[in-house]
Amino acid sequence: MSFLNNYIYYIGAFGLILIGLYIILVKHNLIKVIIGLGILDTGVNLFLISVGYITKGTAPIFSKPGIDSEHMVDPVPQALVLTAIVIGVAVLALALSLAIRLYQHYGTLNLRKIREQRW
Amino acid sequence: MVSPVLLIAVPLGLAFAIPLFALFWKGAAKYIPLAALAFNLVVSVLLLPKVLENPVIVFIGGWQPPFCINLVAGPVGVLFSAIIALVGLLVSVYALDYIKEGPTEKYHMLYLLLLTGATGVVLTGDIFNLFVFFEILCISSYALVAYLRDKAGIESAVKYLIQGAVGSSLLLIGIGLLYGLFGTLNMADIAQNIKSVSPISIFVPMVLIVTGLGVEAAIFPLNAWLPDAHSSAPSSISAILSGIAIEVGLYAVVRVVFTIFGAQSFLLFLALLGILTLLVGEMCAFSQNNIKRMLAYSSIGQIGLILFALAIGTSYGVTGGLFQMVSHTLGKALLFLAAGYMIYQAGSMEISALEGMGRKMPLTCLAFTIGAFSLVGLPPFIGFPSKFLIVRAALATKEIYFCVLIGLALLATVIEGAYFFRVVQVIYFKGVKGNPEVNPERREAPAAALIPMFIFVVLIVVVGIYPKLVTDVLNSAATEFLNRLDYIRSVLG
Repeated sequence: MSFLNNYIYYIGAFGLILIGLYIILVKHNLIKVIIGLGILDTGVNLFLISVGYITKGTAPIFSKPGIDSEHMVDPVPQALVLTAIVIGVAVLALALSLAIRLYQHYGTLNLRKIREQRW
Repeated sequence: MVSPVLLIAVPLGLAFAIPLFALFWKGAAKYIPLAALAFNLVVSVLLLPKVLENPVIVFIGGWQPPFCINLVAGPVGVLFSAIIALVGLLVSVYALDYIKEGPTEKYHMLYLLLLTGATGVVLTGDIFNLFVFFEILCISSYALVAYLRDKAGIESAVKYLIQGAVGSSLLLIGIGLLYGLFGTLNMADIAQNIKSVSPISIFVPMVLIVTGLGVEAAIFPLNAWLPDAHSSAPSSISAILSGIAIEVGLYAVVRVVFTIFGAQSFLLFLALLGILTLLVGEMCAFSQNNIKRMLAYSSIGQIGLILFALAIGTSYGVTGGLFQMVSHTLGKALLFLAAGYMIYQAGSMEISALEGMGRKMPLTCLAFTIGAFSLVGLPPFIGFPSKFLIVRAALATKEIYFCVLIGLALLATVIEGAYFFRVVQVIYFKGVKGNPEVNPERREAPAAALIPMFIFVVLIVVVGIYPKLVTDVLNSAATEFLNRLDYIRSVLG
């Protein structure tokens, strides 16, 4: 059980990443693919957070006296995740607006039916 | 003394100011990229002699490295930022007249953001910042590919976006793994400590990062998005995507492999990938009937050649690769710009529709021909010294592996020559005999397009005749890539 306790966040993160990749590779509907991108992003963010996480650690702010640095989580990955979330939101918003345009042109979101560009 | 921070800060600030200016005067939007990029070009050229002696390291936030975010303006960074500014400036002059439809102020804003992202990637010394600037570049290019809002543009933008987003997620996972291993994001600091962990645990982040960046650099198995995106974007954007965006992706791959990981044994694999990319790109280009798709596939081929040259890993090889990058940037930007107005006149992207263009628009066709000859590598143009240097570097290694691969590369050059000469033949010699019109009316591209094209032509010819103009800079840039200890020392002190 201690293995699970120690690595549960990594297992969850890579689970989410694999689920996201699976959806992107397998699904035909553009909206589902975009959902897959969202899940992939979430997995990556969870992974970054768990890199810097210490069990039962607190935020690295000196608000309470008596907390030493060993019980604080690493703040750098959290800053990275904030940036990564913002970037993810921008990509998802752009993807959704492109999906609207795609639907206007083709009347479908099925990526297997939209095949004008090819080798 | 100007600071390299301005190279990023000024275009970024002006990019977001464009919608504000456009509120008062809509015509202002198209002149702001011009001003910002002219500023960048001047600053880069001013910095260049100084960084050739010592790299300029900028610490942000008043902390010492490795705790701060730093910019490393070495020979490579400033060389690239000068090229980005030069090509960006000329293409934005072209866009003054070319971009008329649609929300033009958004076009100019995204265009400037794309170039800001590219400049940031080449100047930064922090691997997470590299990711952020890369995303700025990618997101603005996804939007610009869809700028015309036609069927093809939207479809290729969707493809590009999905593949690019997966690629950047892989890149971020790789960066997370590196941070977990080393507890730092500073590239020099990671490079210093890379030997302290086992090679197996380095391998996974390296593969993830190279794969993630390889999507943007269009290395062979990851390049499915490129021909669609480059052929359905507006021609000025195709020129930037082909001339700058994929080069910057390749720069990032090389920076990671050479400087951060110092992975000499990985180079053989990269050389093989480069040759595969080259052959696949040139063979696909040969079978195209659409001129922009042909140029896009030719970009894939050129990227493969550059990757091969850089992966030779000797001083000659890296210099040749960087030289080929410069020559591809100038040549391919010129080709896309010229093709833009040829397509506009012909009303079609089919090569067969360009018959007799040589008499309708002689100047544009002359520019196109020079660009094509330069890419093939004919002597008076810049493509000749760069390809020559690569062949010489491969033969100088005296290894049978590289000699066989350079033979394949020369074979690919023959294919490249075949399809470029076919287009030149169609332009000048097809459809002339049966045409009773002796002097068809001349409808030349406007001056705002011809001036940047001919500046490219002059650069291609002048550097082609006198390559010494750039070889000094390229040599010290190659030294920066190869000598990672100097890089580490100059950043960490």
